[in-house]
Order: sequence, then C-alpha cells, then structure tokens
Amino acid sequence: MSRIVSNAFAGLVAAFFVLPIFAIVPAAFNRASYIRLPPDDWSLRWWFVFFSDPSWRRALGNSLQVACLAAVLAVVVGVAAALGVARLRGKWRALVTGLLLGPAIVPVIVLAISLYGVVRSLGLLGTTTGLVLAHAMLGLPYVALNTSVSLGALDPKLKLAAAGLGADPLRIFRTVTLPQIVPGIVGGTIFSFVTSFDEVVLSVFLTSPSMKTLPVRMWEDIRVEYVPTVAVAATVMIILALGAGAASRLLFRR
Amino acid sequence: MGALRFAGITKFFGVVRALEPLDLDVAEGEFLTLLGPSGSGKTTVLNICAGYLAPTDGRLFVNGKDVTDIPPRSRNMGMVFQNYALFPHMNVGENVAYGLKAKQRPADEIKRRVDEALKKVQLSGLNLRAVGDLSGGQQQRVALARAMVIEPDILLMDEPLGALDRQLRKDVQLEIRRMHVANPKTTIYVTHDQEEALVMSDRIAVMRNGRIVQIGSARDLYQRPADSFVARFLGESNLLPGRVLSIAGYNAEIAVDGLESPVTGKAGNSLAVGKSASMLVRPEHVRHRPGGIPARVVEAIYLGELTALRLQIAGPSGGRLAIAESPPIELWSRQNNWAASVDDVVEIGWDSESVSVLPDVTT
Repeated sequence: MSRIVSNAFAGLVAAFFVLPIFAIVPAAFNRASYIRLPPDDWSLRWWFVFFSDPSWRRALGNSLQVACLAAVLAVVVGVAAALGVARLRGKWRALVTGLLLGPAIVPVIVLAISLYGVVRSLGLLGTTTGLVLAHAMLGLPYVALNTSVSLGALDPKLKLAAAGLGADPLRIFRTVTLPQIVPGIVGGTIFSFVTSFDEVVLSVFLTSPSMKTLPVRMWEDIRVEYVPTVAVAATVMIILALGAGAASRLLFRR
Repeated sequence: MGALRFAGITKFFGVVRALEPLDLDVAEGEFLTLLGPSGSGKTTVLNICAGYLAPTDGRLFVNGKDVTDIPPRSRNMGMVFQNYALFPHMNVGENVAYGLKAKQRPADEIKRRVDEALKKVQLSGLNLRAVGDLSGGQQQRVALARAMVIEPDILLMDEPLGALDRQLRKDVQLEIRRMHVANPKTTIYVTHDQEEALVMSDRIAVMRNGRIVQIGSARDLYQRPADSFVARFLGESNLLPGRVLSIAGYNAEIAVDGLESPVTGKAGNSLAVGKSASMLVRPEHVRHRPGGIPARVVEAIYLGELTALRLQIAGPSGGRLAIAESPPIELWSRQNNWAASVDDVVEIGWDSESVSVLPDVTT
C-alpha cells in the first residue's frame, strides 16, 4: 500500500518536472496557427514550413555548427585544465579551480555584456568564431569539473603500478588515465554541447542578422507573436538534447 | 636477479624525518621482511626501492649499480600493492600482460608468458575474466602474476595479504613461501603482521620510528630480542618492569617490581645498571612448578591445543593484601597440559635460560 502511494507520489513529481518540457510538442503538430492542447487537427504542416524556410534551416545549421565547435574546444581546453589542476596543491589548486568555474557562476547577463565589449573590440562580433569562443567558455566548467571528478576517483597507485611495470608517461596516460576519465570527458562534452545549443543570452548579444542560432531565431519570432514553427524548433531541440543524453548513456553503460 | 644495497638512505617529508640513514644489504634471492607498526618507515623503504619516492640522501644499488636516479619504469622491479592496484578497465589477461606490452615484447611471447604466469598462480583460463568479478584472493594472485611475469630483478610487496581473511591469508603465505623456495627471487616484503613475517622470511627487520631496531632470522628475533619493543612485536610476551642490578657478560640481573628475589636472564642491547628495564618470559615458558612463586589464576582460556592462563603474583607480602601503590604482577602462561581453573592458587616458575632482560623503549 505504502509502496503504491510512494510510487504515485514519485510519478507526480516526475510529471511536474517533465510534462512542461513536452507540453510544446503537440503544438508542433497542430494544423491551426495558435497553441491549443490537445490540437484540434493533427498535421505536419509547420514542419514543412520550418524545413522549407532557409532562415530556419540556416539557424539550425548555425546552432549545430557552433555547438559542435564549442564542445570540441571546451573539451580540449577543459581536459587539459583538469589534468593541470590535478597537479596543483593547496591554495593554487583552489584558486585555479575557482577561476575555471567562473563562467558557470557569473550571471550570464553580466558575462554577455562584458563579452560583447571584448568580442567587438576583437572584430569578432556576429561571427561564428566569436560565438564559438563564448560558448566554449560556458562549456569549459562542465568539462573541467566532470573530468576532475573522474580524475579524483582514479587510484594514484594505478599510475605507480603502470610505471613500475615499465610504462612511460605517455603510455600511462593512454592506457591508464584516459580510459578511466573518458566517461567524465564524454559527460562534459554532452553538457557543453547542450549548453551551447540552447544558449540565448550570450547569443542575442553576439549574433548578427546574418548569423543567428536557433534559440535566437525563436526568441525573435516569439517576441512579436506566437508562430507554430517555434514549436517545431522547440521539438527539434528537445529531440537533439534527448538524443545526446541517450547516446552517452548507451556508449558508456557499465 | 639482484642483490640490493641501501647506503645511507634517508628520507625527510618536509621537516619530518621518515627514515633515519639506512644501511642495509639484501642478498640475491633473499626474502627480507620489514616488520613494524604503521608510520615506522617500512613502506617508505619500499617506495624508495621501487623509485616512487626519491631519497633525501643516500644511494641505492642493485647488483652494484647505482639506481638512485633511475625512474621506476627502468628499474625492473615487480611491485605488489596493498590493495593490488589492478587496472579496473582491463581483464585478467590484459592486467598480467601490461608490463610485457610496455616492454614491447612480441604478441605470441606475451600470450605464452601470461598463460605461464597465470598457471603459476593457479588462475589458468581466467584471462578474459573482469578483475572486478574476482574474489580478493584471486585478485591478489593476479597482482602477483602481473609483478612476476616481467621477471623482475627484485620483488616488492606492500602488505599484500592485508585485505584477505584469516584462512586465506594463511594459505597464500604458504603459497608465496613455496614459490620463493622453488624460485628464489630477491624479495622485500612489508607487513605489520608478525605471523606473516615468521612464515615467509629468511630475515626479518623490525622497524620503529624510521629505524631498523633489529634484524635477523625469525629465530634470532624471537629468542634474543634486542629490546622490549621487538619482544612485544614478535610473539606473545610477558614483560615485567624492574631495575637492572648487574650485568655480567651476556647475562644481566634484574629486580622485578613486586618479586622478592632478583632474576637473571640474557641481556638485551644497551642496558645500564640502575636503569629501568623489563624482564621477558614468553608465556610458553611459564610453567607449573611446585615450590615456585605462588600465583592466583584470574582467567583460564581454553584454546584447543593449549590453555592460556592469566596469573596474578601476589607480591612480596606473600598472598596478603598488596600495597596500594604496587599493583599485582600479571603474566600469561600458555601450556598444553595444565588444567587449572579460575581462583586456583598455583605455584609457577620458569627456566633461567628462557628469561631475557631488555631495555624499555619509550615510543
């Protein structure tokens, strides 16, 4: 009995968290041009509109490109930073860790305003490069943190054992350290991909009419009036985010 | 194969001296055990030997060659860690093959030698098993195989049996001993377990506060401990405090607090007349002796092959109330055919050659 009650309660909590996310999905399949739940008439009409409109397609392409590049950059820098931090001791370690986590702690709007100045003075405003750099910065803490956690869980004796068995530092990294921290790296990568993919605030400041990301395009549309293509865009984003999460789960099922 | 020489090896951690200058020769094929409590410096010795720690001072030689500045990967020593440190993402075969792959041996040789090593530790055919699926004893044997397969000059073991249960520990002790006898390899073995030390070692070095306090065969250490610390660490002991009366050659006379007549026994290191010391008599030497010292049985524990008795000697007042400041002397006896029960008053004694007079060690 108590089991049923607790399960029901858990279901309620889950619904409370998850349902609002999926509430937009039916709207993407509505024939009408306004939000109605459930839809009166099912249709793929707005999906055709979405994919036949070059500006939506370009926005989706930009978002994917920026998110991929930002994630790659965040991984390279973040993993290197985590490996470096692991060698630091005492207050240096605390200091550098704090700096690395900065982008995740500072309010995004503050970050956006200061980045606007920096990126503009570098002449990168409205370019893919500028946005990739900014998004990589947002993703960096997730990669560094995830990798640090995996590194911290690594038994230091494993490296000693490998060295004692004749392995040089490069081989130790490749055969002992890396396999142990890959789950952390992949987790951080997916996090930073998703972070970039759904980022609005920085993007609003750093994009230009000729280089917009999907969330910026959505934001601009919805500011004026609701159009169902936004629901389609939202559904596309949900699918991609879930897909990334599921992929990481499947890849690293232990 | 290698003979090992520590020449003035010293280690400081910051200002803390973890290892006093250590001069020690380990012969080729010798099984040396470093025995001591935690913090005594035994693992430091092992880590310096493997190259995981650099000594603050002193040199380390293998077969006369100075290896002090050679990194661990080039020392060719096999280390078995306390919790095995097996690579969790590799299976048994990959773990054992690791050292041979690092040395870039050909694949067919690796396969052959891994199979041989696993056979030696009785794990044949488990190559593909995940290490996490093995029992503690099996993991321990994989660690041993991984260390031995590279044919190290020197085998180093850091409390390798610490995580095993008692019965398994006994079995593996004997197994390691047999493997060593069949194929003597210079081995340094670190433990705080006296039984392990006694079973396996050619020589035992007892360490305390970063120093070897005594080194010798198990028999030497048990029969002629240098001080009360060694006596307490190796075997069961009764240590009765007193004061040294005289020293003559290898013997010393001690007035034990609470005993009427002085006792003579083998003298330990650095005794001084008039200084406090302890009389050592092992429980197996405390016997029933008619006309001996009267004592009351306080506790009687039946241990199967023998019975342990906790005895209280009444003191010089001869059975009457003891003086408040001097508590009664207590000692243990372990005999196989002495049927005494609690509250019996018995007469006890010991042979003078089984008694030692040892300096006290303040830790």
